[in-house]
Amino acid sequence: MRDGVRMALVLLIIGAVCGGLLAGVNAWTGPIIETRAQQEFMETLRRFFPDVDRIDEESVDGEGYFVCYDSAGNLLGVVAQAKASGYGDGPIQYNLAVDNAGNIVGIRISSHTETPGIGNFIETEEWQQQIVGLSIDDPIAVGQDIDTHSGATVTLRGITGSIRRVIDVIGAEFLGFEGETMGLDIAAVSDGTYTGTGSDVTVEVTVSGGQITEIVVLEHDYTPDYFDKAEGATIARIRDAQSIEVDAVSGATVSSLGIIEAVFNALK
Amino acid sequence: MTTLTQEFSKGIIKQNPVFVQLLGMCPILAVTITATNGFGMGIASMFVLLSSNIVVSFIRNVVPPRVRIPAYILVIATFVTITDLVLNAFLPSLHAALGIFIPLIVVNCMIMGRAEGFARKNTLGRSVIDALGMGIGFTLALTILGIVRELLGAGSIFGANIMGSSFEPMALFASPPGAFIALGILLAIFNYFYRKFGVQ
Repeated sequence: MRDGVRMALVLLIIGAVCGGLLAGVNAWTGPIIETRAQQEFMETLRRFFPDVDRIDEESVDGEGYFVCYDSAGNLLGVVAQAKASGYGDGPIQYNLAVDNAGNIVGIRISSHTETPGIGNFIETEEWQQQIVGLSIDDPIAVGQDIDTHSGATVTLRGITGSIRRVIDVIGAEFLGFEGETMGLDIAAVSDGTYTGTGSDVTVEVTVSGGQITEIVVLEHDYTPDYFDKAEGATIARIRDAQSIEVDAVSGATVSSLGIIEAVFNALK
Repeated sequence: MTTLTQEFSKGIIKQNPVFVQLLGMCPILAVTITATNGFGMGIASMFVLLSSNIVVSFIRNVVPPRVRIPAYILVIATFVTITDLVLNAFLPSLHAALGIFIPLIVVNCMIMGRAEGFARKNTLGRSVIDALGMGIGFTLALTILGIVRELLGAGSIFGANIMGSSFEPMALFASPPGAFIALGILLAIFNYFYRKFGVQ
């Protein structure tokens, strides 16, 4: 018994001393490591926006958006830290930089698990040059302004769809593009039932006497959790406002924007 | 009783942890792609070995024998974590290059072996000498292996181009199979000289 107590006590003391020592070293090195990680991230941002002086970090649907300002406080643009699903098991993680006019100024793939020799073309300068320069008003769709890449359809669709989604979020959340790109006069729409498709969602809109009376989602391809959150509230907001210039449901921005886009496409 | 000089030099030649005892092969083969990595790994391991030998020797009369292994592991893990944090803070590029192999120093059998086989039975002074000898022997071996692999696999040493632009690097030596082959050849050369000069 004596022995047991002594063993426990010795281990306890050694453990406590080691723990204390580590706490001390961590307190000393922690801030240094933290500062360096931030500097490295600022370097990445500087490659896109050389004048960046201050960043605001925002989170939309679990993805990070870094809003960049210059020293005078002018909005330079937004760098997104986004995920796309491709062919590999893991996500394609990438940064997309969009300037304050809605043009893509840079893309950087930070990690991916696409098949080497097939899906990893997304890392090439050649492919990335195709993306840089596109604007929020461009289709950004495979076969239109993005060349098809035979043998790597899944990768290409995944990253292209994701870029479209991210630039829409940036436009709506940070650059205030929503209203300008989607002007719609509901009073001018004649009575009837219309069907429209947005990115990954199809809706049926009933108009009567210049008013939207009913919006029904026919099918969608979003993550159910987010979509369920977006569906009721977004439809109610559109009906109440009789306009598609409504706020997205926070925490479900992408699904909300999809519904808004689908209603716009139905009635335009 | 062995003299202090013998205690020191045994780790470098007679009982070199890599070329004679073949201890800690996993990090050795994995990180010696370049001479710099091999040297860095050697120094990091030496720091952990020296610190743990000092502490283990210091507490050798206090720790009950039945819990000595967990006690040593606590001590070693603490110094490895310190090494990891300090490298991350001050030498980030080396930290990134060595990656997971820094935390894995905890299970490097050379370090446990010296704690268990030497430091717990010897005085503080001798344990320090032993750790320095073994640590330098380990660092030298890793650096030599790193030099050979970098020279053949990339045509440079410590990042400086040696072989000129016409040299076609043998990518094999930068990969794990090449590490085995290079180590095997080095072992053969060392064994030849050890036998020739009668080192036993």
